[in-house]
Amino acid sequence: MSVPFRIATMTCLAVTVIAAATLPAQRAATSPGPSGSQADVTARITTSAQALLTKLDDAGRAKVQFPFEGPQKTRWSNLPSPMFERRGLLMADLTPTQRAAVKELLAVALSREGYRKVTEIMQGDEVLRKSSSQGARGGGRGPAFGEDQYYLAFLGTPSATAPWMLQFGGHHLAINLTLAGTQATMAPSLPAAQPATFTVEGRTVRPLGNENDKAFALINALNADQRSQAILSSRVADLVLGPGHDGKTIQPEGIRATALSAAQQTMLWELVREWAGIINDAFAEPRMAEIRARPADTYFAWSGPTTNGSAAYFRVQGPTLVIEYAPQQGSVDHIHTIYRDPTNDYGAKFAK
Amino acid sequence: MSGSWTSAHRLDEYLQAARLGIDPDRVELSLDLTAGIAVAEVVLSEIDRDKNGMISAAEARAYADRVLSAIALDVDGIPLRIELVESTFPAFDTVRSGAGTTRIQAVAKMPRLDDGLHHLRYRNAYRSDIGVYLANALVPASDRVTVAAQRRDIDQRNLVIDYRLSGQPAPAARRGLSVGVAGALILIANVWWRTRTRRREDL
Repeated sequence: MSVPFRIATMTCLAVTVIAAATLPAQRAATSPGPSGSQADVTARITTSAQALLTKLDDAGRAKVQFPFEGPQKTRWSNLPSPMFERRGLLMADLTPTQRAAVKELLAVALSREGYRKVTEIMQGDEVLRKSSSQGARGGGRGPAFGEDQYYLAFLGTPSATAPWMLQFGGHHLAINLTLAGTQATMAPSLPAAQPATFTVEGRTVRPLGNENDKAFALINALNADQRSQAILSSRVADLVLGPGHDGKTIQPEGIRATALSAAQQTMLWELVREWAGIINDAFAEPRMAEIRARPADTYFAWSGPTTNGSAAYFRVQGPTLVIEYAPQQGSVDHIHTIYRDPTNDYGAKFAK
Repeated sequence: MSGSWTSAHRLDEYLQAARLGIDPDRVELSLDLTAGIAVAEVVLSEIDRDKNGMISAAEARAYADRVLSAIALDVDGIPLRIELVESTFPAFDTVRSGAGTTRIQAVAKMPRLDDGLHHLRYRNAYRSDIGVYLANALVPASDRVTVAAQRRDIDQRNLVIDYRLSGQPAPAARRGLSVGVAGALILIANVWWRTRTRRREDL
Protein backbone atom coordinates (compact mmCIF):
# COMPACT_ATOMS: atom_id res chain seq x y z
CA MET A 1 0.00 0.00 0.00
CA SER A 2 2.91 2.27 0.69
CA VAL A 3 4.26 2.00 -2.81
CA PRO A 4 1.29 3.62 -4.58
CA PHE A 5 1.33 6.46 -2.08
CA ARG A 6 5.02 6.86 -2.52
CA ILE A 7 4.54 6.94 -6.28
CA ALA A 8 1.78 9.53 -5.91
CA THR A 9 3.94 11.69 -3.70
CA MET A 10 6.91 11.44 -6.02
CA THR A 11 4.68 12.21 -9.02
CA CYS A 12 3.37 15.37 -7.35
CA LEU A 13 6.89 16.44 -6.54
CA ALA A 14 8.08 15.70 -10.08
CA VAL A 15 5.24 17.70 -11.63
CA THR A 16 6.04 20.63 -9.37
CA VAL A 17 9.74 20.47 -10.18
CA ILE A 18 9.10 20.22 -13.92
CA ALA A 19 6.64 23.14 -13.80
CA ALA A 20 9.12 25.24 -11.87
CA ALA A 21 11.96 24.29 -14.19
CA THR A 22 10.04 25.19 -17.35
CA LEU A 23 8.71 28.48 -16.00
CA PRO A 24 11.80 30.51 -16.91
CA ALA A 25 11.70 29.02 -20.41
CA GLN A 26 8.04 29.93 -20.80
CA ARG A 27 8.79 33.45 -19.62
CA ALA A 28 11.70 33.72 -22.01
CA ALA A 29 9.44 32.73 -24.89
CA THR A 30 7.16 35.68 -24.25
CA SER A 31 9.69 38.09 -22.88
CA PRO A 32 11.23 40.91 -24.86
CA GLY A 33 14.26 40.32 -27.09
CA PRO A 34 17.81 41.11 -26.09
CA SER A 35 17.58 42.43 -22.58
CA GLY A 36 21.02 43.99 -22.74
CA SER A 37 19.89 46.86 -24.90
CA GLN A 38 16.77 47.28 -22.78
CA ALA A 39 18.86 47.46 -19.63
CA ASP A 40 21.08 50.00 -21.34
CA VAL A 41 18.11 52.14 -22.31
CA THR A 42 16.68 52.01 -18.79
CA ALA A 43 20.09 53.05 -17.48
CA ARG A 44 20.18 55.98 -19.93
CA ILE A 45 16.66 57.07 -18.99
CA THR A 46 17.64 56.84 -15.32
CA THR A 47 20.79 58.87 -15.90
CA SER A 48 18.75 61.56 -17.68
CA ALA A 49 16.23 61.62 -14.85
CA GLN A 50 19.00 61.91 -12.27
CA ALA A 51 20.64 64.69 -14.30
CA LEU A 52 17.37 66.60 -14.25
CA LEU A 53 17.07 66.14 -10.49
CA THR A 54 20.51 67.72 -10.00
CA LYS A 55 19.31 70.80 -11.88
CA LEU A 56 16.32 71.30 -9.57
CA ASP A 57 16.31 72.97 -6.18
CA ASP A 58 14.82 71.27 -3.14
CA ALA A 59 11.35 72.64 -3.89
CA GLY A 60 11.51 71.35 -7.47
CA ARG A 61 12.67 67.91 -6.35
CA ALA A 62 9.85 67.79 -3.81
CA LYS A 63 7.34 68.64 -6.54
CA VAL A 64 8.53 66.04 -9.01
CA GLN A 65 8.91 63.11 -6.63
CA PHE A 66 6.03 60.83 -5.59
CA PRO A 67 5.79 57.38 -4.01
CA PHE A 68 5.64 54.58 -6.57
CA GLU A 69 2.34 53.38 -5.14
CA GLY A 70 -0.24 56.05 -4.51
CA PRO A 71 -2.89 58.26 -6.07
CA GLN A 72 -0.45 59.99 -8.43
CA LYS A 73 -0.28 56.83 -10.55
CA THR A 74 -3.81 57.28 -11.86
CA ARG A 75 -3.83 61.07 -11.76
CA TRP A 76 -3.96 61.70 -15.52
CA SER A 77 -6.59 62.91 -17.94
CA ASN A 78 -7.32 64.31 -21.37
CA LEU A 79 -8.71 67.45 -19.74
CA PRO A 80 -6.70 70.65 -19.35
CA SER A 81 -5.67 71.90 -15.94
CA PRO A 82 -7.24 73.04 -13.69
CA MET A 83 -10.39 71.31 -14.91
CA PHE A 84 -8.35 68.27 -13.96
CA GLU A 85 -5.99 68.83 -11.06
CA ARG A 86 -2.51 67.60 -11.88
CA ARG A 87 0.50 67.47 -9.60
CA GLY A 88 4.18 67.46 -10.39
CA LEU A 89 6.73 69.77 -11.90
CA LEU A 90 5.02 72.34 -14.13
CA MET A 91 6.92 73.30 -17.27
CA ALA A 92 5.96 76.94 -16.75
CA ASP A 93 7.98 76.96 -13.52
CA LEU A 94 11.21 75.71 -15.07
CA THR A 95 14.30 77.58 -16.24
CA PRO A 96 15.46 77.08 -19.84
CA THR A 97 18.18 74.72 -18.58
CA GLN A 98 15.70 72.66 -16.62
CA ARG A 99 13.31 72.54 -19.57
CA ALA A 100 16.12 71.34 -21.78
CA ALA A 101 16.79 68.57 -19.29
CA VAL A 102 13.13 67.50 -19.41
CA LYS A 103 13.23 67.41 -23.21
CA GLU A 104 16.44 65.40 -23.09
CA LEU A 105 14.77 62.93 -20.74
CA LEU A 106 11.75 62.54 -23.01
CA ALA A 107 13.98 62.14 -26.05
CA VAL A 108 15.79 59.25 -24.36
CA ALA A 109 12.64 57.63 -22.99
CA LEU A 110 10.69 57.78 -26.23
CA SER A 111 11.35 56.70 -29.78
CA ARG A 112 12.06 59.36 -32.38
CA GLU A 113 8.45 59.08 -33.59
CA GLY A 114 7.15 59.10 -30.04
CA TYR A 115 9.08 62.24 -29.21
CA ARG A 116 7.77 63.91 -32.38
CA LYS A 117 4.23 62.98 -31.46
CA VAL A 118 4.51 64.30 -27.91
CA THR A 119 6.09 67.60 -28.95
CA GLU A 120 3.53 68.09 -31.72
CA ILE A 121 0.63 67.44 -29.34
CA MET A 122 2.09 70.14 -27.09
CA GLN A 123 2.57 72.47 -30.07
CA GLY A 124 -1.07 71.91 -30.94
CA ASP A 125 -2.07 72.96 -27.46
CA GLU A 126 0.01 76.09 -27.90
CA VAL A 127 -1.90 76.80 -31.10
CA LEU A 128 -5.12 76.25 -29.17
CA ARG A 129 -3.95 78.73 -26.52
CA LYS A 130 -3.16 81.38 -29.10
CA SER A 131 -6.36 80.86 -31.03
CA SER A 132 -8.51 80.74 -27.93
CA SER A 133 -10.70 83.78 -27.52
CA GLN A 134 -9.39 84.45 -24.04
CA GLY A 135 -5.84 83.19 -24.45
CA ALA A 136 -4.62 80.87 -21.73
CA ARG A 137 -1.98 80.51 -19.12
CA GLY A 138 -3.97 78.98 -16.36
CA GLY A 139 -5.02 82.10 -14.57
CA GLY A 140 -8.52 82.34 -13.17
CA ARG A 141 -10.78 79.32 -13.33
CA GLY A 142 -10.53 78.64 -17.04
CA PRO A 143 -8.57 75.86 -18.66
CA ALA A 144 -4.85 76.40 -19.07
CA PHE A 145 -3.64 75.62 -22.57
CA GLY A 146 -0.17 75.79 -24.08
CA GLU A 147 3.26 74.21 -23.93
CA ASP A 148 3.85 75.59 -20.43
CA GLN A 149 0.98 73.60 -18.98
CA TYR A 150 2.51 70.12 -18.89
CA TYR A 151 3.64 68.31 -15.78
CA LEU A 152 6.46 65.89 -15.06
CA ALA A 153 6.45 63.44 -12.16
CA PHE A 154 8.66 60.57 -11.00
CA LEU A 155 6.93 57.82 -9.06
CA GLY A 156 9.54 55.98 -7.07
CA THR A 157 13.23 56.75 -7.33
CA PRO A 158 14.74 56.69 -10.83
CA SER A 159 16.67 53.44 -10.97
CA ALA A 160 18.31 51.22 -13.56
CA THR A 161 16.95 48.11 -11.86
CA ALA A 162 14.11 48.85 -9.42
CA PRO A 163 10.59 49.77 -10.57
CA TRP A 164 9.77 53.44 -11.04
CA MET A 165 7.57 55.50 -13.28
CA LEU A 166 7.97 58.57 -15.44
CA GLN A 167 4.75 60.49 -15.89
CA PHE A 168 4.40 63.39 -18.29
CA GLY A 169 1.16 65.00 -19.29
CA GLY A 170 -1.28 67.81 -19.62
CA HIS A 171 -4.16 68.65 -21.90
CA HIS A 172 -4.56 65.86 -24.48
CA LEU A 173 -1.48 64.00 -23.32
CA ALA A 174 -0.72 61.38 -20.71
CA ILE A 175 2.50 59.41 -20.87
CA ASN A 176 2.82 56.78 -18.14
CA LEU A 177 6.14 55.00 -18.58
CA THR A 178 6.82 52.29 -16.01
CA LEU A 179 10.35 50.89 -15.95
CA ALA A 180 11.93 48.00 -14.10
CA GLY A 181 15.38 47.13 -15.37
CA THR A 182 14.96 45.19 -18.62
CA GLN A 183 11.20 45.67 -18.71
CA ALA A 184 9.06 48.68 -19.47
CA THR A 185 5.53 49.57 -20.51
CA MET A 186 3.86 52.76 -21.59
CA ALA A 187 0.35 51.55 -20.83
CA PRO A 188 -1.90 53.29 -20.13
CA SER A 189 -1.17 56.36 -22.22
CA LEU A 190 -3.33 58.93 -23.90
CA PRO A 191 -2.13 60.77 -27.00
CA ALA A 192 -4.78 63.17 -28.29
CA ALA A 193 -4.89 66.28 -30.43
CA GLN A 194 -6.76 69.54 -30.83
CA PRO A 195 -6.34 70.98 -33.34
CA ALA A 196 -5.50 67.83 -35.22
CA THR A 197 -4.04 69.80 -38.14
CA PHE A 198 -2.18 73.09 -37.86
CA THR A 199 0.78 74.90 -39.34
CA VAL A 200 4.05 75.83 -37.68
CA GLU A 201 6.36 78.09 -39.68
CA GLY A 202 4.57 77.14 -42.86
CA ARG A 203 4.79 73.41 -42.17
CA THR A 204 1.59 71.38 -41.82
CA VAL A 205 1.59 69.44 -38.56
CA ARG A 206 -0.70 66.49 -37.80
CA PRO A 207 0.29 64.92 -34.47
CA LEU A 208 -1.98 61.92 -35.03
CA GLY A 209 -2.00 62.05 -38.81
CA ASN A 210 -0.32 58.66 -39.25
CA GLU A 211 -2.86 57.00 -36.98
CA ASN A 212 -5.71 58.48 -38.98
CA ASP A 213 -4.26 57.72 -42.40
CA LYS A 214 -3.14 54.19 -41.62
CA ALA A 215 -6.56 53.32 -40.19
CA PHE A 216 -8.43 54.66 -43.21
CA ALA A 217 -6.00 52.82 -45.49
CA LEU A 218 -6.71 49.59 -43.64
CA ILE A 219 -10.50 49.88 -43.62
CA ASN A 220 -10.40 50.69 -47.34
CA ALA A 221 -8.18 47.69 -48.01
CA LEU A 222 -10.89 45.33 -46.72
CA ASN A 223 -13.31 43.60 -49.07
CA ALA A 224 -17.06 43.78 -48.55
CA ASP A 225 -17.21 40.65 -46.42
CA GLN A 226 -14.34 41.79 -44.22
CA ARG A 227 -15.91 45.22 -43.84
CA SER A 228 -19.17 43.71 -42.73
CA GLN A 229 -17.25 42.04 -39.91
CA ALA A 230 -15.19 45.09 -39.00
CA ILE A 231 -17.77 47.86 -39.14
CA LEU A 232 -20.02 48.18 -36.11
CA SER A 233 -23.66 49.04 -36.65
CA SER A 234 -23.70 51.77 -34.02
CA ARG A 235 -22.12 55.16 -33.46
CA VAL A 236 -19.34 55.29 -30.88
CA ALA A 237 -19.48 58.67 -29.21
CA ASP A 238 -16.28 58.53 -27.18
CA LEU A 239 -13.53 56.37 -25.76
CA VAL A 240 -14.98 53.39 -23.94
CA LEU A 241 -11.88 52.79 -21.81
CA GLY A 242 -10.60 56.34 -21.41
CA PRO A 243 -9.17 57.91 -18.24
CA GLY A 244 -10.59 56.46 -15.03
CA HIS A 245 -11.32 53.05 -16.50
CA ASP A 246 -8.30 51.09 -15.40
CA GLY A 247 -8.75 47.37 -14.95
CA LYS A 248 -11.79 46.98 -17.19
CA THR A 249 -11.87 44.76 -20.25
CA ILE A 250 -14.71 45.07 -22.71
CA GLN A 251 -15.85 42.27 -24.97
CA PRO A 252 -13.84 42.52 -28.22
CA GLU A 253 -15.70 43.22 -31.46
CA GLY A 254 -14.92 43.58 -35.14
CA ILE A 255 -12.86 41.46 -37.49
CA ARG A 256 -10.20 39.08 -36.24
CA ALA A 257 -6.69 39.71 -37.47
CA THR A 258 -6.62 36.15 -38.75
CA ALA A 259 -9.46 37.03 -41.12
CA LEU A 260 -7.16 39.57 -42.77
CA SER A 261 -4.73 38.81 -45.56
CA ALA A 262 -1.01 38.94 -44.82
CA ALA A 263 -0.79 42.41 -46.36
CA GLN A 264 -3.79 43.62 -44.36
CA GLN A 265 -2.31 42.17 -41.17
CA THR A 266 0.87 44.11 -41.85
CA MET A 267 -1.21 47.25 -42.18
CA LEU A 268 -2.91 46.48 -38.87
CA TRP A 269 0.39 45.97 -37.04
CA GLU A 270 1.79 49.16 -38.53
CA LEU A 271 -1.28 50.97 -37.24
CA VAL A 272 -0.73 49.47 -33.79
CA ARG A 273 2.91 50.57 -33.91
CA GLU A 274 1.76 54.20 -33.87
CA TRP A 275 0.93 53.67 -30.19
CA ALA A 276 3.16 50.76 -29.18
CA GLY A 277 6.11 52.52 -30.82
CA ILE A 278 5.92 55.74 -28.81
CA ILE A 279 8.19 54.14 -26.23
CA ASN A 280 11.93 53.78 -26.90
CA ASP A 281 12.60 51.28 -29.72
CA ALA A 282 14.34 48.86 -27.35
CA PHE A 283 10.98 48.28 -25.66
CA ALA A 284 8.75 48.87 -28.67
CA GLU A 285 10.07 45.92 -30.67
CA PRO A 286 9.39 43.21 -28.06
CA ARG A 287 6.02 44.83 -27.38
CA MET A 288 5.12 44.59 -31.06
CA ALA A 289 6.22 40.96 -31.09
CA GLU A 290 3.97 40.26 -28.12
CA ILE A 291 0.99 41.88 -29.84
CA ARG A 292 1.60 40.21 -33.22
CA ALA A 293 1.84 36.80 -31.56
CA ARG A 294 -1.92 36.66 -30.91
CA PRO A 295 -3.64 37.41 -34.26
CA ALA A 296 -6.52 35.00 -33.60
CA ASP A 297 -7.44 36.98 -30.49
CA THR A 298 -6.86 40.45 -31.93
CA TYR A 299 -9.76 42.43 -33.39
CA PHE A 300 -10.15 45.57 -35.49
CA ALA A 301 -13.46 47.42 -35.19
CA TRP A 302 -14.68 50.52 -37.01
CA SER A 303 -17.56 52.92 -36.62
CA GLY A 304 -18.33 55.73 -39.03
CA PRO A 305 -17.65 56.70 -42.63
CA THR A 306 -14.72 55.14 -44.47
CA THR A 307 -13.63 58.13 -46.53
CA ASN A 308 -10.43 59.66 -45.19
CA GLY A 309 -11.20 63.10 -43.86
CA SER A 310 -14.36 61.87 -42.13
CA ALA A 311 -14.77 61.47 -38.41
CA ALA A 312 -14.57 57.76 -37.63
CA TYR A 313 -13.95 55.76 -34.48
CA PHE A 314 -11.80 52.64 -34.45
CA ARG A 315 -10.51 50.14 -31.93
CA VAL A 316 -7.81 47.49 -31.95
CA GLN A 317 -8.15 44.99 -29.14
CA GLY A 318 -6.17 41.92 -28.23
CA PRO A 319 -5.31 39.96 -25.10
CA THR A 320 -2.65 42.51 -24.13
CA LEU A 321 -3.86 45.52 -26.08
CA VAL A 322 -6.60 48.10 -26.29
CA ILE A 323 -6.28 51.03 -28.68
CA GLU A 324 -9.17 53.41 -29.26
CA TYR A 325 -9.32 56.42 -31.56
CA ALA A 326 -12.35 58.65 -31.01
CA PRO A 327 -13.10 61.93 -32.77
CA GLN A 328 -14.95 64.21 -30.37
CA GLN A 329 -18.49 65.24 -31.25
CA GLY A 330 -17.97 64.39 -34.90
CA SER A 331 -14.96 66.68 -35.32
CA VAL A 332 -11.87 65.53 -37.22
CA ASP A 333 -9.98 68.34 -35.52
CA HIS A 334 -10.42 67.06 -31.97
CA ILE A 335 -9.21 63.52 -31.42
CA HIS A 336 -8.89 61.45 -28.26
CA THR A 337 -7.05 58.13 -28.23
CA ILE A 338 -6.13 55.61 -25.55
CA TYR A 339 -3.49 52.89 -25.38
CA ARG A 340 -3.79 50.15 -22.77
CA ASP A 341 -2.47 46.74 -21.87
CA PRO A 342 -5.19 45.06 -19.77
CA THR A 343 -2.59 42.66 -18.39
CA ASN A 344 0.16 45.18 -17.73
CA ASP A 345 -1.15 48.71 -17.17
CA TYR A 346 1.35 50.56 -14.95
CA GLY A 347 3.67 47.54 -15.25
CA ALA A 348 1.38 45.32 -13.16
CA LYS A 349 3.25 42.24 -14.42
CA PHE A 350 6.71 43.27 -13.33
CA ALA A 351 6.58 46.35 -11.13
CA LYS A 352 5.77 44.91 -7.73
CA MET B 1 -5.49 84.45 -18.90
CA SER B 2 -7.82 81.54 -19.39
CA GLY B 3 -8.79 79.51 -22.40
CA SER B 4 -12.31 79.01 -23.57
CA TRP B 5 -14.12 76.32 -21.61
CA THR B 6 -16.00 75.34 -24.69
CA SER B 7 -12.94 74.46 -26.71
CA ALA B 8 -11.78 71.86 -24.22
CA HIS B 9 -14.49 69.27 -24.05
CA ARG B 10 -17.97 67.96 -24.78
CA LEU B 11 -20.53 70.71 -25.30
CA ASP B 12 -24.24 70.05 -25.71
CA GLU B 13 -24.40 66.33 -25.05
CA TYR B 14 -24.98 64.19 -21.99
CA LEU B 15 -22.71 61.18 -22.40
CA GLN B 16 -24.12 58.06 -20.73
CA ALA B 17 -21.63 55.20 -20.89
CA ALA B 18 -22.79 51.81 -19.65
CA ARG B 19 -20.74 48.70 -19.06
CA LEU B 20 -22.47 45.44 -18.24
CA GLY B 21 -20.82 42.54 -16.49
CA ILE B 22 -22.75 39.27 -16.72
CA ASP B 23 -22.41 36.62 -14.06
CA PRO B 24 -24.51 33.44 -13.92
CA ASP B 25 -26.55 34.84 -11.05
CA ARG B 26 -26.45 38.60 -11.61
CA VAL B 27 -25.71 41.54 -13.89
CA GLU B 28 -23.51 44.40 -12.76
CA LEU B 29 -24.21 47.74 -14.39
CA SER B 30 -21.71 50.60 -14.31
CA LEU B 31 -22.95 53.90 -15.65
CA ASP B 32 -20.82 57.01 -16.22
CA LEU B 33 -22.68 60.25 -16.84
CA THR B 34 -20.82 63.28 -18.21
CA ALA B 35 -22.76 66.42 -19.03
CA GLY B 36 -21.28 68.81 -21.57
CA ILE B 37 -20.90 72.40 -20.49
CA ALA B 38 -23.89 73.58 -22.53
CA VAL B 39 -26.24 71.11 -20.82
CA ALA B 40 -24.61 71.02 -17.39
CA GLU B 41 -27.05 73.49 -15.86
CA VAL B 42 -29.99 71.45 -17.11
CA VAL B 43 -28.54 68.32 -15.55
CA LEU B 44 -27.62 70.10 -12.31
CA SER B 45 -31.14 71.43 -11.95
CA GLU B 46 -32.31 67.82 -11.92
CA ILE B 47 -29.78 66.87 -9.25
CA ASP B 48 -29.68 69.93 -7.01
CA ARG B 49 -33.39 70.13 -6.37
CA ASP B 50 -33.14 72.68 -3.52
CA LYS B 51 -30.93 74.92 -5.69
CA ASN B 52 -28.37 75.52 -2.95
CA GLY B 53 -25.37 74.87 -5.19
CA MET B 54 -24.46 71.60 -3.49
CA ILE B 55 -25.26 67.97 -4.12
CA SER B 56 -26.47 66.40 -0.89
CA ALA B 57 -26.45 62.66 -0.22
CA ALA B 58 -30.23 62.58 -0.48
CA GLU B 59 -30.18 64.45 -3.79
CA ALA B 60 -27.50 62.13 -5.11
CA ARG B 61 -29.48 59.06 -4.10
CA ALA B 62 -32.70 60.43 -5.58
CA TYR B 63 -31.00 61.33 -8.85
CA ALA B 64 -29.30 57.93 -9.17
CA ASP B 65 -32.67 56.24 -8.57
CA ARG B 66 -34.28 58.49 -11.19
CA VAL B 67 -31.64 57.59 -13.77
CA LEU B 68 -31.98 53.88 -13.03
CA SER B 69 -35.75 54.06 -13.31
CA ALA B 70 -35.28 55.04 -16.96
CA ILE B 71 -33.13 51.99 -17.61
CA ALA B 72 -34.59 48.57 -18.29
CA LEU B 73 -32.91 45.20 -18.19
CA ASP B 74 -34.40 41.86 -19.11
CA VAL B 75 -33.06 38.41 -19.75
CA ASP B 76 -34.92 36.29 -22.30
CA GLY B 77 -37.82 38.72 -21.88
CA ILE B 78 -37.92 38.40 -18.10
CA PRO B 79 -37.63 41.88 -16.53
CA LEU B 80 -34.82 42.30 -14.01
CA ARG B 81 -35.03 44.51 -10.96
CA ILE B 82 -32.15 47.01 -10.94
CA GLU B 83 -30.85 47.99 -7.52
CA LEU B 84 -28.53 50.87 -6.79
CA VAL B 85 -25.25 49.78 -5.20
CA GLU B 86 -23.52 53.14 -4.97
CA SER B 87 -23.13 56.45 -6.72
CA THR B 88 -20.35 59.03 -6.70
CA PHE B 89 -20.88 62.61 -7.77
CA PRO B 90 -18.21 65.17 -8.61
CA ALA B 91 -18.33 68.62 -7.01
CA PHE B 92 -21.10 70.91 -8.18
CA ASP B 93 -18.69 73.27 -9.97
CA THR B 94 -16.95 70.36 -11.69
CA VAL B 95 -20.26 69.25 -13.18
CA ARG B 96 -21.00 72.84 -14.14
CA SER B 97 -17.65 73.06 -15.97
CA GLY B 98 -18.55 70.08 -18.13
CA ALA B 99 -15.69 68.01 -16.74
CA GLY B 100 -17.44 66.02 -14.05
CA THR B 101 -18.47 62.41 -14.36
CA THR B 102 -21.13 60.90 -12.12
CA ARG B 103 -20.66 57.20 -11.59
CA ILE B 104 -23.54 54.87 -10.76
CA GLN B 105 -23.08 51.22 -9.83
CA ALA B 106 -26.12 48.96 -9.88
CA VAL B 107 -26.87 45.28 -9.83
CA ALA B 108 -29.72 43.06 -10.97
CA LYS B 109 -30.28 39.51 -9.81
CA MET B 110 -30.67 36.92 -12.56
CA PRO B 111 -33.38 34.26 -12.46
CA ARG B 112 -32.20 30.67 -12.50
CA LEU B 113 -31.36 29.89 -16.12
CA ASP B 114 -30.59 26.66 -17.90
CA ASP B 115 -27.34 26.16 -19.73
CA GLY B 116 -27.47 27.46 -23.29
CA LEU B 117 -27.94 30.68 -25.21
CA HIS B 118 -29.56 33.66 -23.47
CA HIS B 119 -30.22 37.27 -24.35
CA LEU B 120 -29.70 40.17 -21.96
CA ARG B 121 -31.42 43.32 -23.15
CA TYR B 122 -30.40 46.78 -21.90
CA ARG B 123 -32.43 49.89 -22.72
CA ASN B 124 -31.57 53.42 -21.62
CA ALA B 125 -34.32 56.01 -22.04
CA TYR B 126 -32.81 58.62 -19.76
CA ARG B 127 -32.68 62.16 -21.21
CA SER B 128 -32.82 61.09 -24.82
CA ASP B 129 -33.21 64.77 -25.74
CA ILE B 130 -29.58 65.48 -24.88
CA GLY B 131 -28.13 62.01 -24.37
CA VAL B 132 -25.44 60.25 -26.34
CA TYR B 133 -24.82 56.69 -25.34
CA LEU B 134 -22.25 53.94 -25.09
CA ALA B 135 -23.15 50.41 -24.07
CA ASN B 136 -20.68 47.56 -23.84
CA ALA B 137 -20.43 44.11 -22.34
CA LEU B 138 -17.43 43.48 -20.15
CA VAL B 139 -15.50 40.26 -20.58
CA PRO B 140 -17.32 38.01 -18.09
CA ALA B 141 -15.48 37.25 -14.89
CA SER B 142 -17.07 33.80 -14.72
CA ASP B 143 -15.82 31.08 -17.06
CA ARG B 144 -19.40 29.80 -17.18
CA VAL B 145 -20.44 32.83 -19.23
CA THR B 146 -19.34 33.47 -22.82
CA VAL B 147 -20.51 36.49 -24.78
CA ALA B 148 -21.51 35.41 -28.27
CA ALA B 149 -22.53 38.76 -29.77
CA GLN B 150 -23.54 42.32 -28.98
CA ARG B 151 -26.36 43.94 -30.96
CA ARG B 152 -27.12 47.63 -30.61
CA ASP B 153 -29.27 50.27 -32.17
CA ILE B 154 -27.32 52.99 -33.97
CA ASP B 155 -27.27 55.30 -30.92
CA GLN B 156 -26.31 52.58 -28.42
CA ARG B 157 -29.38 53.30 -26.31
CA ASN B 158 -30.33 49.67 -26.71
CA LEU B 159 -27.97 46.74 -26.40
CA VAL B 160 -28.71 43.04 -26.60
CA ILE B 161 -25.97 40.77 -25.36
CA ASP B 162 -26.24 37.21 -26.63
CA TYR B 163 -24.39 34.95 -24.22
CA ARG B 164 -23.96 31.29 -23.43
CA LEU B 165 -24.28 29.87 -19.97
CA SER B 166 -22.59 26.55 -19.44
CA GLY B 167 -21.45 24.01 -16.90
CA GLN B 168 -23.37 24.15 -13.64
CA PRO B 169 -20.53 24.54 -11.16
CA ALA B 170 -19.65 22.07 -8.47
CA PRO B 171 -20.44 23.76 -5.18
CA ALA B 172 -17.30 25.63 -4.22
CA ALA B 173 -17.28 24.28 -0.68
CA ARG B 174 -17.47 20.69 -1.89
CA ARG B 175 -14.77 21.31 -4.49
CA GLY B 176 -12.49 22.87 -1.87
CA LEU B 177 -13.18 20.02 0.54
CA SER B 178 -12.26 17.42 -2.08
CA VAL B 179 -8.95 19.06 -2.80
CA GLY B 180 -8.25 19.43 0.92
CA VAL B 181 -9.07 15.79 1.69
CA ALA B 182 -6.93 14.54 -1.19
CA GLY B 183 -4.01 16.65 -0.04
CA ALA B 184 -4.38 15.52 3.56
CA LEU B 185 -4.50 11.85 2.51
CA ILE B 186 -1.30 12.17 0.52
CA LEU B 187 0.40 13.91 3.44
CA ILE B 188 -0.75 11.33 6.00
CA ALA B 189 0.28 8.48 3.73
CA ASN B 190 3.67 10.01 3.22
CA VAL B 191 4.26 10.45 6.97
CA TRP B 192 3.00 6.94 7.65
CA TRP B 193 5.28 5.46 4.99
CA ARG B 194 8.33 7.39 6.26
CA THR B 195 7.61 6.39 9.87
CA ARG B 196 7.24 2.76 8.93
CA THR B 197 10.45 2.82 6.89
CA ARG B 198 12.35 4.45 9.76
CA ARG B 199 11.06 1.79 12.22
CA ARG B 200 12.18 -0.99 9.90
CA GLU B 201 15.61 0.61 9.61
CA ASP B 202 15.78 0.91 13.46
CA LEU B 203 15.01 -2.75 13.77
